Amino acid sequence: MDAQQVIICRCEEVSLEELLSTAREYQCTARELKLRTRAGMGCCGGRTCRILIEQIVEQATGQVPTHTVSLGYQPPVRPISFQTLGGKSS
Amino acid sequence: MNDVLVIGAGPAGLSAAIAAARQGLSVKIVDEFYRPGGRLLGQLHEEPDGVWWNGLAEAARLDQEARALGVNISCGVSVYDIARCDDRWRISTTEGEWESSLLLIATGASEAAVPVPGWTLPGVMSIGAAQVMTNVQRVRVGKKGVVIGVNILSVAIARELQLAGVHVEQLILPPLSEVSGKAGRPHEIMRSLLRVAHLAPSPVIRLGSKLMGSAWMQRLAVAFFPSKGVRMWDMPIHLRTAALEIVGTSQVEGVRTARVTPEGLPIPGTEQLIPADFVCIAGGLSPLAELAAIAGCPFAYVPALGGHVPLHDEYMKTPLPGLYVAGNITGIESARVAMSQGTVAGLSMAQASGLLADDSLLSQAQLQVKRVRQNATIQFHPDIAAGRELVGQMAAAWTAR
Ligand SMILES: Cc1cc2nc3c(=O)[nH]c(=O)nc-3n(C[C@H](O)[C@H](O)[C@H](O)COP(=O)(O)OP(=O)(O)OC[C@H]3O[C@@H](n4cnc5c(N)ncnc54)[C@H](O)[C@@H]3O)c2cc1C
Repeated sequence: MDAQQVIICRCEEVSLEELLSTAREYQCTARELKLRTRAGMGCCGGRTCRILIEQIVEQATGQVPTHTVSLGYQPPVRPISFQTLGGKSS
Repeated sequence: MNDVLVIGAGPAGLSAAIAAARQGLSVKIVDEFYRPGGRLLGQLHEEPDGVWWNGLAEAARLDQEARALGVNISCGVSVYDIARCDDRWRISTTEGEWESSLLLIATGASEAAVPVPGWTLPGVMSIGAAQVMTNVQRVRVGKKGVVIGVNILSVAIARELQLAGVHVEQLILPPLSEVSGKAGRPHEIMRSLLRVAHLAPSPVIRLGSKLMGSAWMQRLAVAFFPSKGVRMWDMPIHLRTAALEIVGTSQVEGVRTARVTPEGLPIPGTEQLIPADFVCIAGGLSPLAELAAIAGCPFAYVPALGGHVPLHDEYMKTPLPGLYVAGNITGIESARVAMSQGTVAGLSMAQASGLLADDSLLSQAQLQVKRVRQNATIQFHPDIAAGRELVGQMAAAWTAR
């Protein structure tokens, strides 16, 4: 499988190849990999690629998952409008 | 203000609301889908005893029962944040904010993706999306499809597609890669299929379940797996074929495949192109626990339950005050288990409010969860009971600190 051709994070268009090589080079955590590549930081909030990023880190660095969630969640967990966030409609 | 807020109108959330409302609590449910029922809405399968499980009918029954008890159900409302304010929980939604002293998170599970070259083409969807389109929205997903990823869920849904008149050409494995995990290894898939052998008319799998207690017998079966595939629930399963690439210019036109070794490596010279106008990717399920994480709930990582699950005890209560969980957020299991967990959560919340007239209702409901789990037709993982035990121990240790 050609890792360059496979997109992992669609929102930020990050390929499997970029994630693997970055994880191998920096032997980093999932959080650091996210910050270095922006994978999982797009408008969907990583709803599809979160698990894949964690898997890639495990494969490339040997870090096994712990009881703590490695990629934290931030509100809002759904895309919402500024109007909803601001709470004023007029 | 309601006594109880429930996030998620799936089997767990609806059952919890019913149980709590029966004891006199006022309950409000919010769900982001446009109709209640959660994943029940798409489910249609035949149990080994020949009885059909009709999720749509189950959802309607739960919805009616909840409404008759005065439960308020708001659909099309997404919860995007939850926070603790004084001695209450506040949920922020696309329709405003609500507060209550008791909060149940029953948000279910999300599907895991398995990336394949070409998976961003139009016409590629998750297996769950195909299920919703077919059984809920009644939209034809395509004429002829390929399912990538062989697991109990994908086989069950492929069969639903077939029943709806949508042709599924083959179920095959994803390409072996850093992100395919066990899903790309034929002998691992064989192991997991043996657990559901009672659903398979295929002699290979049926016999296998009796004879293949040992790992080498399983390997042998994979080595001799017929190249035409075997049928399970009448679905063409190809354990020794993997996708290499989904092809097409502006839309799916087919899947390039190859025969693979029992370890999942492509065998040169065996490439084929299967024409198809849609592709379903099935990577399994994991608990959707984002809101529990935001609330600050501690977690356990338990692969048998599908990944990270919020800590909770056998009353479905998390270590955080007034916060409860039920259903697939606590581990991937079938809809009946989700319902029985929901009942426990609803009764626990009634007890916490001092409204549970008879405490034996709660202990009976807890026994019922175990009974339903033991008799479940669809078991998503062999070590669920052990996984549940671990979560319970961790929750007790956390509370004792
Ligand atoms: C694609 C798929 C197919 C399945 N097929 C089967 C099957 O055939 N047989 C079987 O036994 N089990 C199946 N399951 C397992 C299934 O998860 C359980 O059967 C059962 O539906 C779990 O019930 P639940 O109440 O925990 O969650 P769900 O039924 O998933 O309900 C959760 C609800 O929460 C809502 N929700 C989630 N997040 C938010 C939010 N932030 N704000 C508002 N609402 C929210 C969702 O819209 C959803 O309606 C399937 C699961 C999936 C994902």
